[in-house]
Amino acid sequence: MLNMTKFERIEAAYRMEVPDRVPVAPILNYIPGYLAGLTIQEILTEPEKLVQATLKHIDIIGDSIDADQLLLDHLSMLGRGGWDQVTLDWRIFDDFPPKGNIPNLYEKPIIENYDDVFERGFAPYMFNRKLENKIWERSIDDFLYYQHEYRERYALAWRGFVEQTGIPLLKGGRACHPLDLLQYYRGIFNLTMDIYECPGKVHEFCEWMYQYEALHAMDIAMTFGAGEVPGADTIFFYNGGPPGMSPEIYDEFYWPYAKKMNDLWVTRGFKVWNHWDNDHTPFLETIKHVADGLPKGKIVMDFEKTDMKKAKQVLGGTVTIYGNVPSAMLVYGTPEDVDAYCKQLITDCAQGGGFILGSECEVPWDSNPENIRAMLRAAEKYNPY
Amino acid sequence: MGKLAGALLALDKKAALAATEEALQSGTDPLALVDEARVGLAQVGEKYDSGEFFLMELMRAAQIFQAIAQVLNPKIVEAHGAVKTSGKVVLGTVAGDIHDLGKNIVKILLECRGIEVIDLGVDVKTAKFVEAVRVHAPQVLGMSALLTASVSEMNKNAEALEAAGLREGVKLIVGGGIVGEIDQSNLKVDYATVDANAGVRLIEQWISQRSTSSQP
Repeated sequence: MLNMTKFERIEAAYRMEVPDRVPVAPILNYIPGYLAGLTIQEILTEPEKLVQATLKHIDIIGDSIDADQLLLDHLSMLGRGGWDQVTLDWRIFDDFPPKGNIPNLYEKPIIENYDDVFERGFAPYMFNRKLENKIWERSIDDFLYYQHEYRERYALAWRGFVEQTGIPLLKGGRACHPLDLLQYYRGIFNLTMDIYECPGKVHEFCEWMYQYEALHAMDIAMTFGAGEVPGADTIFFYNGGPPGMSPEIYDEFYWPYAKKMNDLWVTRGFKVWNHWDNDHTPFLETIKHVADGLPKGKIVMDFEKTDMKKAKQVLGGTVTIYGNVPSAMLVYGTPEDVDAYCKQLITDCAQGGGFILGSECEVPWDSNPENIRAMLRAAEKYNPY
Repeated sequence: MGKLAGALLALDKKAALAATEEALQSGTDPLALVDEARVGLAQVGEKYDSGEFFLMELMRAAQIFQAIAQVLNPKIVEAHGAVKTSGKVVLGTVAGDIHDLGKNIVKILLECRGIEVIDLGVDVKTAKFVEAVRVHAPQVLGMSALLTASVSEMNKNAEALEAAGLREGVKLIVGGGIVGEIDQSNLKVDYATVDANAGVRLIEQWISQRSTSSQP
């Protein structure tokens, strides 16, 4: 019998207790807006319309909603966490592909001199001639609006959604690991060279940068109502580091700062959703220590390509895991494919609690809604509790 | 294994450059050193295939090779008149997609193998791919994509090449995360892979086959 609210169910999963059924929380991003016929411009700049679109498609929402605070930084000019105008393909189309495109993250080697960044500060450094020229077409009023008023407006719209539906936010703030930032601002080739040729500088940047990102994340979470609005106290920490790290590079360059950031947030009363793309199977023995020294039940490991069965074997009882119906399956597969995949995931990962069924990274905007509904149905159909 | 190949395998740039200088000083043909460096790179590739090395190590090895090539290329021109390439490949990320990590890795590995690469960049429209094949007459066209929406672009490009009468003369290879997650039999290409190293090996093989078949 289902006797928990969606928030209670998610909270039980965090605490690695057995909920009434498997929680399911696909990360939806653009798809509700797309299905409701919104343009990308509207999705990014009119949060009230986005919330209405999400309400219209409530049947594809799971046990939490991703309000996608990334959108705040899409419009920011301050060189924040890797998803701002510095690193984006900064064109806001009206149309979805093929006519237009969603904002895409891509690498642009912008940092040329680490010492210059340390001297001038990260945000000022971003305002250099390597930025897209279009950014300079924006007015001061525009700048101030998107830094302050827009955030409040966005948070208010989603607070209304939570109050109306009882569906908690999946996250309140978001932050990037310094090494991910370096991937975006140095490019993966330069970063690889830096790791081998100037490792001290890489460490210095990570040490210098992690608090900047962590504090920004908490700031956003407070705007969203951390402590009041269910789910707003969760920090979405992405993207799991540059692809292709060896265990040695992971342990030396990625892990120490990932652990510091998790510690910083949890000790200040926040929860952490570690959204780590690529395959972290080789690093699971290290990840096992993510909650060391911290109160239980504050961390979710959201894995994209990681072997989920192995993740459960290594991390079960230590930290909650989330994942990972493939993006391509949601677009090109059938509801039967999704059902079978979810059944296996639940079999491998749900025993004893500590598992949230979800998507591999975000649900693509061009997913078949029937596949998302199949995921939601599977959580009840194969309920092992 | 020679000192140079060994240094490359050890991912030791300083030792690799030192070994290069030492060998040049002792009169070794720079072409022979390029070959030795390629042996080292191939061994790195084998360790990558076996899972002992990871992508960053493969990239590091390619970077070291490039550093060695910067020293050797002028010497090759001096001694032999030109740096020859064994073939030509056009690469690009398809329209609507601006992810390029895999493409860039393939590019660097191909260049390490003496293959000329024309890189069209990202978000490449169909017409640009077709024009590039027409103008450069590569043996291979490589397309990269990460997004689900990019799959149809790959087939669109293949069809456009067919319509332009260019498909027969070029091998098509596609790569990127998305190709590993779909039914590849629906792709109108010659090969699809998520493994950059495997893709590079196949491209080399195709180029070699075309060179052999075109010899009298």
